[in-house]
Amino acid sequence: MAAFLVRRLGAAILVAFGVATIAFLLIHLAPGSPLIGSGENPYVSAELIAQAQRNFGLDQPLWVQYGRYLANLARGDWGLSFSQQRPVLEVFRDALPNTFILALAALILDFVLGIGLGVYQGLHPHSRADRFWSRVTLTLYAVPSFWLGLMLLLVFGKTLGWFPVGGVVDPVLYPLLPPAGQLLDRLRHLALPAVTLGLIGAASTARYQRAQVLEVLGQDYVRAARARGLSETAVALRHVLRNALLPTINLFGLALPTLLSGAVLVETVFAWPGMGRLAVEAVARRDYFLVTGIAVLAGFLVVAANTLADILVHLADPRTREARRPEAHRARFGASRPAQPAGGLPPTTR
Amino acid sequence: MNGSLVGAALRAASARASLPVLGSAKPQVRASDAARLEARQRQGPREPLRRSLLAWTAAAAVLTGCERRSTCPDGWCGTAVSAGAEPDVLLPPVSQIDVGAWLGDLLFSKLADLGSAPTTVGDQGFEPRLAERWAWEDSITLRFSLNPRAHWHDGTPVTARDVVFSFDVYRDPAVNSGARPLLGRIASVTAADSHAVVVRFSQPYPEAFYDAVYHVRVLPAHWLDTVPRARLAQHPFGRHPVGSGPFRFVRWEAGQQVELAGDSSYFLGRPGLRRVIWRVVPSMATLVTQLAAGETDIGFVLGAPELIQQLRGVASLRLWPYAINAYGYIGFNFRDPANPARAHPLFGSAEVRRALSMAVDRRSVVSAVLGEVGDVPEGPLTRGSWIWSDSLRALPFDTAGARHILDRLGFRPGPDGIRRRAGRRLEFELLVPVTSGLRRSSAVIVQEQLKRVGVAVRISELDISTVMARARAGRFDAAYLSWVQDPSPRALEQEWTTRGIGASNYQHYSNPAFDRLVQQATLEFDRDRARALWQQAVALINQDAPAIWMYVPGALVAVHQRFQDVALRPDLWMAWLWKWRVNPDALLPRDLAVVP
Repeated sequence: MAAFLVRRLGAAILVAFGVATIAFLLIHLAPGSPLIGSGENPYVSAELIAQAQRNFGLDQPLWVQYGRYLANLARGDWGLSFSQQRPVLEVFRDALPNTFILALAALILDFVLGIGLGVYQGLHPHSRADRFWSRVTLTLYAVPSFWLGLMLLLVFGKTLGWFPVGGVVDPVLYPLLPPAGQLLDRLRHLALPAVTLGLIGAASTARYQRAQVLEVLGQDYVRAARARGLSETAVALRHVLRNALLPTINLFGLALPTLLSGAVLVETVFAWPGMGRLAVEAVARRDYFLVTGIAVLAGFLVVAANTLADILVHLADPRTREARRPEAHRARFGASRPAQPAGGLPPTTR
Repeated sequence: MNGSLVGAALRAASARASLPVLGSAKPQVRASDAARLEARQRQGPREPLRRSLLAWTAAAAVLTGCERRSTCPDGWCGTAVSAGAEPDVLLPPVSQIDVGAWLGDLLFSKLADLGSAPTTVGDQGFEPRLAERWAWEDSITLRFSLNPRAHWHDGTPVTARDVVFSFDVYRDPAVNSGARPLLGRIASVTAADSHAVVVRFSQPYPEAFYDAVYHVRVLPAHWLDTVPRARLAQHPFGRHPVGSGPFRFVRWEAGQQVELAGDSSYFLGRPGLRRVIWRVVPSMATLVTQLAAGETDIGFVLGAPELIQQLRGVASLRLWPYAINAYGYIGFNFRDPANPARAHPLFGSAEVRRALSMAVDRRSVVSAVLGEVGDVPEGPLTRGSWIWSDSLRALPFDTAGARHILDRLGFRPGPDGIRRRAGRRLEFELLVPVTSGLRRSSAVIVQEQLKRVGVAVRISELDISTVMARARAGRFDAAYLSWVQDPSPRALEQEWTTRGIGASNYQHYSNPAFDRLVQQATLEFDRDRARALWQQAVALINQDAPAIWMYVPGALVAVHQRFQDVALRPDLWMAWLWKWRVNPDALLPRDLAVVP
């Protein structure tokens, strides 16, 4: 496991280097400058802009700027955000927790609802309920996230007034509430954006999970379990669910970085100050170091999330553990490895 | 929900959470009926449970936005929640966006400020701020006497040293303040004594007083004098400022909100509001939703008729039309983008420019994209400017006249309806910033209107920084730009005179007669004669048609009904926020949430 983690760390550094290079070059090659601003002040002269370029080292050749950026990055200095006039890491420190909270809530909704619904549909294929939920999930899957967010906001925020229409906490009263009240306030603000992201994610997870369950149900070891007289609940819980969940863990590995690097539209609709909104604003303002930093961070997150997914699969799937421990494998199965049922665990291991 | 109960319960909630009570260092709630609460607190062993229930009930009521009616406990309460973009930094000399200036004016003070009549010639109409009085020692020497009661929010008195330091900061090239070019005629600023400042100008000129007071917000030298100037913008002070204005800084939650508190010892009198919260919203649509939902009290809503329509149906809001001192225009490049030494093949001709101007029905454009809040400019100025006159007229909408001019110049309609001369189509590229919905929409209408007279327009929608980069480099035929102006008409000098070429006159428009009139107007001390000269200059530039003056953007300031004494200063809508107050008979729960 340690060697595996070290390999992944090395991969993360390589990914970060590649992403930093591409993002740095692309944003610098894009037309425009972070120092031009909105351009609507007639007194912002070329001289003022030239002075600002000198102050920030933007008058240097691109390769000099790039070398300096990499050297600083290696020392842990991610540069300065031009639009916020503070270090990029400080900007991340403010935005990341908000994104993390939203992503976590959305992921919980996504996988709890998605897996639950998918398993139910898979165990009751072609039933009336299955057909109904298939249509619901297909519709949700087709709906753009910003539209769903706007509808939820209009109905539950603006019209019914059950939830706030934006922000992370109540701007006036939050500091005055007791800890439990603060938690409640946070949850109320979190509800609509998390439900927006969670529902759309759950729709896709449910469809994926349903297909997995149907595939596992057709395996020989499931038939064998039924032949041994196990109840349907035992078959579903011990044999079907565990095997059908393994590919979904990889889905989790893909979903996590997407959510963490920012649900751009949903964050904008709900005025949620996370990484997605930050990225959009940074690109619009040509905030070079902030854009590059966000890209590097997203690269790290992709590697980290996939590593996490691999670890979860490793913990959940005994075959991967056996494959990494040949002596244990030999002790259990003898010199030659027996054939295993495709896509599932052998019934003898249960 | 009973309002008193909310107040009491919030206090109980604070107590349970170990939040301090009045007079301590953290935010707190003041209950209107504290005595009743204390009586409850003296009750028996079941009290913790009761208080807990009370707190939860209050929290639930507050969070569901129940309105309350009560009175201010000591005659001073009121929270204004406003919203908009996030400021870049709360340090006026280095802030580059509007919100920075808006909030900066609540936190920091100037020596004097404009009154309700935004006249910039002489010193009449200016209101004292840090300077309680001033006097001209001679034509180039101005002496300010500081108000001895003025102090920084940390309690330190504001002194002449702070004023001298501030001018030094604003004029320092290392700081690179946007206001630096406006202070070029100030020769020196010195402290005569601890509360007297002398400003000397390099020459006498009519707007000397305006320059001395309007652009510089006085900064605390004792906080900033050791900060390297080139690093001033990044100094933590910019996110935790200490000012001398009517409101003091409380906190800034990045991406969420900035909180200010009224300074009860403000030297010009206690502000009417106890607390101001500036919420960060990513778009105008979000702002309108928050206003309509009652989560935000005050909003500056630009343009977009559909958004304004949404607000019209909200009973809790009053809408105040607000004229913005800005104009949008389609500027013609006088130089050939391929070879700047040559005149532009189309726009080098004043006749062509006039014909294009006359072919655009600006009134219908403004009506379509701005509705009732927009205005049609009669030159590069707005009605709010003190040089405005109803007699000013831009070129009229006259398609027959436009066709006649183009025919006379030899541009004949081709088979596709587009005019040609010597085999060349009458066609040009129009740069439009993609970030401006207003300009994108109106550019399409202009394209259609010009097509009717046989002119083809290729619209290139680009992000604003690319448009500006191409405009500055002269790589454009026509560009749809806008200028936001300060109260002085001198901005015209930057934008349209020969001196402005290389600065803000991207079109390279140059007319010595116009330059001369502007020069005379800027040196004229008599306000009426100055106004007449400015108007002659505007009439001349209208005839030269270096641009089509497209629109003056309108705005609405939406304000919750419970606010009283609402006044909007013509040049800066939030500048008089400290004079607003809430109706004590229409308080909301948030009005009782105060900071010490």
